[in-house]
Amino acid sequence: MLRNEAATRPDEGSPLLQIKDLQTHFFTQDGVVKAVDGVSFSINDGRTLGLVGESGCGKSVTAMSILGLISRPGRVVSGQILLEGRNLVTMSDEDIREVRGNSISMIFQEPMTSLNPVLTCGDQISESVSLHLGLDRRAAMAKAVEMLQRVGISDAKRRAREYPHQLSGGMRQRVMIAMALSTNPAILIADEPTTALDVTIQAQILEVMKEMRVQNKMAILLITHDLGVVAEMADDVVVMYAGKVVEQAPATTVFEEPHHPYTLGLLSSIPRLGEHRRRLEVIQGVVPNPLNLPQGCLFQRRCRFAMPICNVAPPLQEVTLGHLSRCWLTPDGQPPAVGANASGEPAEAAAVQLSVESR
Amino acid sequence: MSAISNGGSDPVGATGATIEPVEERYVRESKTGDVLVEVRDLVKHFEIRGGLLGITKIGAVRAVDGVSFSVRKGETLGLVGESGCGKTTLGKVMLRLVPPTSGEVIVNGRSIFGLSDSEMVPVRRDMQIVFQDPYASLNPRMTVGEIVGEGPYVHGMRDKKAREDLARELLAKVGLNQSHIHRYPHEFSGGQRQRIGIARALALNPAFIVCDEPVSALDVSIQSQVLNLLDDLQQEYGLTYLFIAHNLAVVEHISDRVGVMYLGKLVELSPVESLYSQPAHPYSVALLSAVPETDPRKRKRRIVLRGDVPSPAAPPSGCRFHTRCWLREQLGNPERCANEEPLLREVRSGQQVACHFSEDVTPATIAAASNPTLAVSASAAATAAN
Amino acid sequence: MAAMPGTQIAAAGMHSGGPPVVDEIDLIPVRTYWQLVRRRFLQNRLAVIALGLMFVLVALSIAVPLATGELYTKTSLTRGSLPPSLDALFGTNQIGQDMFLRNMRALQTSLFIGFMAVLIIALIGVTLGAIAGYFGGKVDNLIMRFVDVILSLPVFFMILIIVAALGKGSALVVVIAIGLTGWTLACRLVRAEFLKMRDADFVQAARALGASDLRIIARHILPSALAPVVVAATLGVADSVVAEAALSFLGFGINPPETSLGLLLKNFDEDLLVRPYLLVPPGVIIVLVVLAASFLGDGLRDALDPRQRIESK
Repeated sequence: MLRNEAATRPDEGSPLLQIKDLQTHFFTQDGVVKAVDGVSFSINDGRTLGLVGESGCGKSVTAMSILGLISRPGRVVSGQILLEGRNLVTMSDEDIREVRGNSISMIFQEPMTSLNPVLTCGDQISESVSLHLGLDRRAAMAKAVEMLQRVGISDAKRRAREYPHQLSGGMRQRVMIAMALSTNPAILIADEPTTALDVTIQAQILEVMKEMRVQNKMAILLITHDLGVVAEMADDVVVMYAGKVVEQAPATTVFEEPHHPYTLGLLSSIPRLGEHRRRLEVIQGVVPNPLNLPQGCLFQRRCRFAMPICNVAPPLQEVTLGHLSRCWLTPDGQPPAVGANASGEPAEAAAVQLSVESR
Repeated sequence: MSAISNGGSDPVGATGATIEPVEERYVRESKTGDVLVEVRDLVKHFEIRGGLLGITKIGAVRAVDGVSFSVRKGETLGLVGESGCGKTTLGKVMLRLVPPTSGEVIVNGRSIFGLSDSEMVPVRRDMQIVFQDPYASLNPRMTVGEIVGEGPYVHGMRDKKAREDLARELLAKVGLNQSHIHRYPHEFSGGQRQRIGIARALALNPAFIVCDEPVSALDVSIQSQVLNLLDDLQQEYGLTYLFIAHNLAVVEHISDRVGVMYLGKLVELSPVESLYSQPAHPYSVALLSAVPETDPRKRKRRIVLRGDVPSPAAPPSGCRFHTRCWLREQLGNPERCANEEPLLREVRSGQQVACHFSEDVTPATIAAASNPTLAVSASAAATAAN
Repeated sequence: MAAMPGTQIAAAGMHSGGPPVVDEIDLIPVRTYWQLVRRRFLQNRLAVIALGLMFVLVALSIAVPLATGELYTKTSLTRGSLPPSLDALFGTNQIGQDMFLRNMRALQTSLFIGFMAVLIIALIGVTLGAIAGYFGGKVDNLIMRFVDVILSLPVFFMILIIVAALGKGSALVVVIAIGLTGWTLACRLVRAEFLKMRDADFVQAARALGASDLRIIARHILPSALAPVVVAATLGVADSVVAEAALSFLGFGINPPETSLGLLLKNFDEDLLVRPYLLVPPGVIIVLVVLAASFLGDGLRDALDPRQRIESK
């Protein structure tokens, strides 16, 4: 239907990770929750993509889908997740485990939940190293210590013999990163990696991630709600709202010329350093109930620019080259010529006309 | 009655319901700048017990270790610091929710730590708290009306109808639907619950509210709603806030003055403009430089502190920050930092700092301590060139 | 929408200029806490069956002895050792007493002992647990060491000693014996809940409002802490019935001509081969009481938790 590979320039080869029209639904007793509803984006070698949105927008479910970690009552219903051309959705469990260890690694918000409390940090890293790189015990442990050093843990030999609970939060997150990177993955999925950390520790971890990104030439899918972290880390940004991508563009574009009213609202509602006592812009209302989504545009009930045409769901369309937005507003942010007023042709007809025009 | 209905906007007075007047009740019209709450050398140590029967003292976590400051009428005093610095404990000790170890808190000229529980009750009407976690701070078995009406009930408003009217009015005031007073907290979203918590605090018409991380558990788009609400209420009722948060941008947005805490100590206390433009303590500098800029073109140079915050059970000697201090390193690790505890002193107008070498915090030393801008990754460079 | 005009920060409505407010909450009908509890309870089929069973057992234990009076003690030399028949539903024993009537009377005694013992257990346990958990420190230490002492003694011997001291044969003595020895679990449960909730934000909020300790305990902590106690108590009924059965079986409980479920099983060694029909009814009734109490406890636990969602069917 529409070009979705906007973040990739057309002259580059096939992307490292490509997600096409991913649908992940949860079949609950109260109904079907479309946690991820037709999400497409791609990440190229060595680039960092920031996946942004509020809780419940589907950003973490997207990551879990990539790793094949969706469990009942959830299921990847349709779509493709192509890693170097191989579709992860149709892969056998065994193959996907292989991918999970070798090509994709993941770090989580709360490292304590993903570290084994009864194994030393060194043991945990060396276990994954020996599993995936086929090293013997001694070499694997040496590699583990080396990894701990590389993520900036001083006295790495001693730390390798300690258990996760003996470490501070920032230290544990470093151990997680060391473990994730020990197998030289092509892509690192980081789900809110610094949300649980203090700002000075966050700064340390972001520095480590930046260094590792350069050293390993690795791509990062960075999932976060913190726009500051995204601005600092990401090359490209995908903004999600209620299971759908609403805006997608290079980071500078998203921060300087956001098009979708939701992105605009988010950016103007956060207090920023150096802007004392300015009245904050507000996005009214709350995220819609996933079991009771509104007709048409999912954001319209909270949107300042809502128009009659918004009762028809807008497609994700190109605003400028490489900049996609799911909104009926024209590229310069004006109401479209048709469908903006209640009078005139029915909204559906206007919508058809608009989406034809936009191609 | 006159003590209560100060201004027509009084939430209690407006319903025509009465709460017995309290003698010491402070009159809202007093000009700002007067001290409302004063904290003198406040100390809170949590004892660590051990031994066979668990009654032997084996140490203490020095959560708050000698903090003094005052909050002026009508202002918002921000309090920032990282987890474990004691800022939340400080707020709770000030309200006597946690018993103090030593020190004094003086509210309207009266020291409150010596008061008996029953003498404390009227004081509580003046000081309220809004909590961080909107899920844990509301009793799941009470309706919203009961939650908001509890304060007035405790203070003598026995008429159920009057309490419900008051609750309705307060719900409208904080932007909730009045018809929801018979709902239970679990039916509301996080932002709505936080509004309920604010309505509960307002129900007693307090002069002073401790806001303990009131927005950090909320989604970004909801945070601004709640911050604006707090701002509106402050304007309308002339409230005084102690705003505790770890988010420096939020604190800058809402505060008039800001205190920076590190390991149980106040290391800097400054007007907000001074702190954010010219931080005078090396820790404040590092803290501010660590905040990511919401602008991808400004990937800034920053001071990355080494290591973790030391344990508050065994804080470093002298200046507590000396083990991680970038300035001390530049100055050749003077012994004074490790031996002598720095006291808060005024370095610029209104700007107090606890550092022996604050005068050496200059743009030049800061630049020297900042890590050289990391080689921007190849892809980022490509984006910029785009 | 039930909103009053002009009371919300914004008017509801899609394009009315002002920012719209969406009230998901208005889609859910208003229910009080107890309505919700009842709804959640009724959704649990096993619990409803258990409640029905318990109701039937209690009703029988009250109605039958009430209607037949002293008939259950009546002996008859001509009607000894009859197997179950329409005339005597559960048969008769060697001295010709009607076993149906005796079983019902026994059920009454056992349930009385069960409920009364649990009442004592809850009273002591909740009070001491609440005090220990809420005030902590030395008080807590003292109470919990006392609990440790009681727990370190073999429960059954303690019961036997109390019964021996107070005099055998009375249901009340059995109640006191079971009650005085059985409160430690309830005490620990309540203490743990109080300890957990003493510093909960909503409790601190109440303290900040100026609520007294008594109000905080009664209004804020106890309702939440009571859920595990209610569950423990229903299970405690089962335990007490079993404890009574054991006591009577050993001859330390109820004496003839009174009877209890344990007493009915007492002559098990003689009856097992000759008159098995005498053993089946009291055995089955004990099992039914225990099962009903257990499932009732489970259902109550789920129903009392306000965070449990109502399943829409």
